[in-house]
Amino acid sequence: MNKKINFNVQAYSIKKNGILFIFILLCVLLSIITPGFLSWANILNILRQSSIIGIMAIGTTFVIIGAGFDISVGSLLALSAAMCVGLQHYMHWSLAILLVLIVGALVGLLNGFLTAKIHIPAIIATLGTMTIVRGLVYLYTGGYPLYVEAPDFAFIGQGYLGPIPFPVVVLIVMVVFWQFILVKTRFGRYACALGGNKEAVRLSGVKVDYYHILTFVVGGLMASMAGVVYASRLLSVTPLAGQTYELDAIASTVIGGTSVAGGEGSVVRTLVGVLLLTIIANVFNLLGVHIYVQFVIKGAIILSAVGFDTYSKFRE
Amino acid sequence: MNKSFPGVKALDSIDLDIYRDEVHALVGENGAGKSTLIKLLVGAYKRDSGEIYFNNQKVEFYSPAQAFQNGISVIYQENSLIPQLTVIQNIFLGMEHFTPLGLIDETKIYQEYLDISKKLSFKLPPHEEARNLGVAEQKLVEILKALIHKANFIIMDEPTASLSKNEIEHLFRIISELKSNHISVLYITHILGEVFRIADRITVLRDGKKIKTVFTKDVNRDEVITMMVGESLKDTYTFRPPGTKKSQRPILKVENLRRKPRVNGVSFEAFPGEVLGITGLTGAGKTELSRLIFGADKLKGGQILINDKTVRFHSPLDAVNQGISLVPEDRKKDALILMLELYKNITLPTLAQFSDKGVLSSGKEFAMTRQFIKKLDIKTSGVNQVVKYLSGGNQQKVVISKWLQTEPKVLVMDEPTRGIDVKAKVEIHNIVRKLAKSGVCVIFVSSEVSEVVKVSDRILVLSSGKITGEFKRGVSQEEIMRIILEEDK
Repeated sequence: MNKKINFNVQAYSIKKNGILFIFILLCVLLSIITPGFLSWANILNILRQSSIIGIMAIGTTFVIIGAGFDISVGSLLALSAAMCVGLQHYMHWSLAILLVLIVGALVGLLNGFLTAKIHIPAIIATLGTMTIVRGLVYLYTGGYPLYVEAPDFAFIGQGYLGPIPFPVVVLIVMVVFWQFILVKTRFGRYACALGGNKEAVRLSGVKVDYYHILTFVVGGLMASMAGVVYASRLLSVTPLAGQTYELDAIASTVIGGTSVAGGEGSVVRTLVGVLLLTIIANVFNLLGVHIYVQFVIKGAIILSAVGFDTYSKFRE
Repeated sequence: MNKSFPGVKALDSIDLDIYRDEVHALVGENGAGKSTLIKLLVGAYKRDSGEIYFNNQKVEFYSPAQAFQNGISVIYQENSLIPQLTVIQNIFLGMEHFTPLGLIDETKIYQEYLDISKKLSFKLPPHEEARNLGVAEQKLVEILKALIHKANFIIMDEPTASLSKNEIEHLFRIISELKSNHISVLYITHILGEVFRIADRITVLRDGKKIKTVFTKDVNRDEVITMMVGESLKDTYTFRPPGTKKSQRPILKVENLRRKPRVNGVSFEAFPGEVLGITGLTGAGKTELSRLIFGADKLKGGQILINDKTVRFHSPLDAVNQGISLVPEDRKKDALILMLELYKNITLPTLAQFSDKGVLSSGKEFAMTRQFIKKLDIKTSGVNQVVKYLSGGNQQKVVISKWLQTEPKVLVMDEPTRGIDVKAKVEIHNIVRKLAKSGVCVIFVSSEVSEVVKVSDRILVLSSGKITGEFKRGVSQEEIMRIILEEDK
């Protein structure tokens, strides 16, 4: 009996951390093949390339842990970036950022409301809001790219804090902050619990709908924050910005071992998932693998990661 | 036709034979092993030993689907039709006739349907969607489906549980038609009145053992009840009458609670320091009543009073705030988050107490959990064990711990010993008595009369959503069974 339990616990931790082993293995391999892979400059470069998807994927992690799904975040990034650029013509950039973050949280609130209160399946609810938000982007931009000249604002996306690019600082701070929220607060605990079994949490006397909606609010908020970094990095936004970003965010989250069925996951491991995808893309580019082929391989990686999770659960 | 199979665990060496053209009734209390027997028969469970003969041939089924293909069909309490398909489509599902081009041959199917409906003399709207049918009609569709699939042995598991009087009559007519068409029926029920009307022979199960198979004409009702309950209750333990003096003021009072169809006007009072047992058949409304008291479902009539004050529950949270807790019937579905650790499950209702300025203190959570592991003797590798890997009894103790640390005034327990082993069952009974002694009002809901008699100070019998009897401690199991079975439709 005891032996069996130990075995299960072991299998559990391997599954949980399997992605870390693969990640480390890949890094070791790459550092042998490509000298300079582990150089400070290259590491920072990879982190910077990961920052926008990484920030977005933090929110996605909360949504998926709560057994939800959010495909509207790509559109929301575009709306946030466009508003962030556009509003600066009328107000100080810091105020514009604040407004944008509020809009992001509100879109998340709407997603959560449609899912938890109206009981539309999350993927359909966010398909609807994805379409609406993309429409709003077109309305707001009139279909043309928006530009802004703002050296102060540009610091967020292009500046350095000491040797570290500022977007990387934002990413790391956010990962630490939200991992803390996930592990050490009631919201985090309830998010996991309701993702595992919402009815049982309701019957424990918890305001489940409130916390369920809150996971979507985090999803929207982080997508907007990613939008701000995006705007600041490029200082221009096209109406097509952020397309398929939601897929990368979801892919990173599930590759990071967050269960698609909800209930378990980790922001830190999502970051590993993001980095993994970035590194693989980098290596392919270095090796000259055609972008079309890269799509095929990326899809295969996502299916393997999720398939491993779902099939091992099914076997139990 | 002959079947025999000794199993172990839930069933102990049961021999059962069913003749061709026979209606055979299988009766027994909840937990007597009826369902297990059926599941072994059709291969839903693997039996430990024993053999099954069907039409004088030894058979081995690995799944109900296989049994179905071989002519043994089970009609369960819940219907298994596909609601969006029509009557005919459901009946012929998997047995459609095809034209040479591979298209579905509607004409041929309809012809066969007419033939069989003539043979059994009934009328159904063949092109109606199954979801628009009444319960009895749906049962009939299932029977027809079995017949089309060449069943010559049909097992019916409590088929009348949700039928009206007229519908039951209809079903009985169909059963006698089946008999005259050389189809055997194994009829599982609690309701003795039905048994005496339709069965040729009766087999009584008790505690996983076969007591006797008798011809219906040779026995009367009281004899069967005695067989079901047993001669004497050889208790290995009894509880002394409660020593605590209970208050004269009820902590909980419910008046005329309603929520159709299962709860139809229930009123009672419950006092601090007592164990109030509520028993009745499956489907009598026990679970629904428990959920109403806890605010899990919306009340459609009546009121709940706590300490003589009316309370309105909009959600379970309101009930928890009033000191009411519920150990639900289905712990995996309604009480546990299986993939989470032990301590996270236990602290769920009171998580606010474990956070300091918004930050959770796992130290405090561990301490509380360890306290309950010790107090209720939960067998686990530690506070971090994922509850999925605990045994049923230990999982139930986790659910109880979760509620005990909210220090409830009223603890409603719905089938708290279902699916757990005998030792854990005794432990849970002891916990219940201890709680009552400490002044908690425990509402102990169970369909197992023997345990209700054992732990309760007062017992209410629920039938069809109404209270039909009240007993004091010391009442015999037989007396209660009589009241429960009285409610023959």
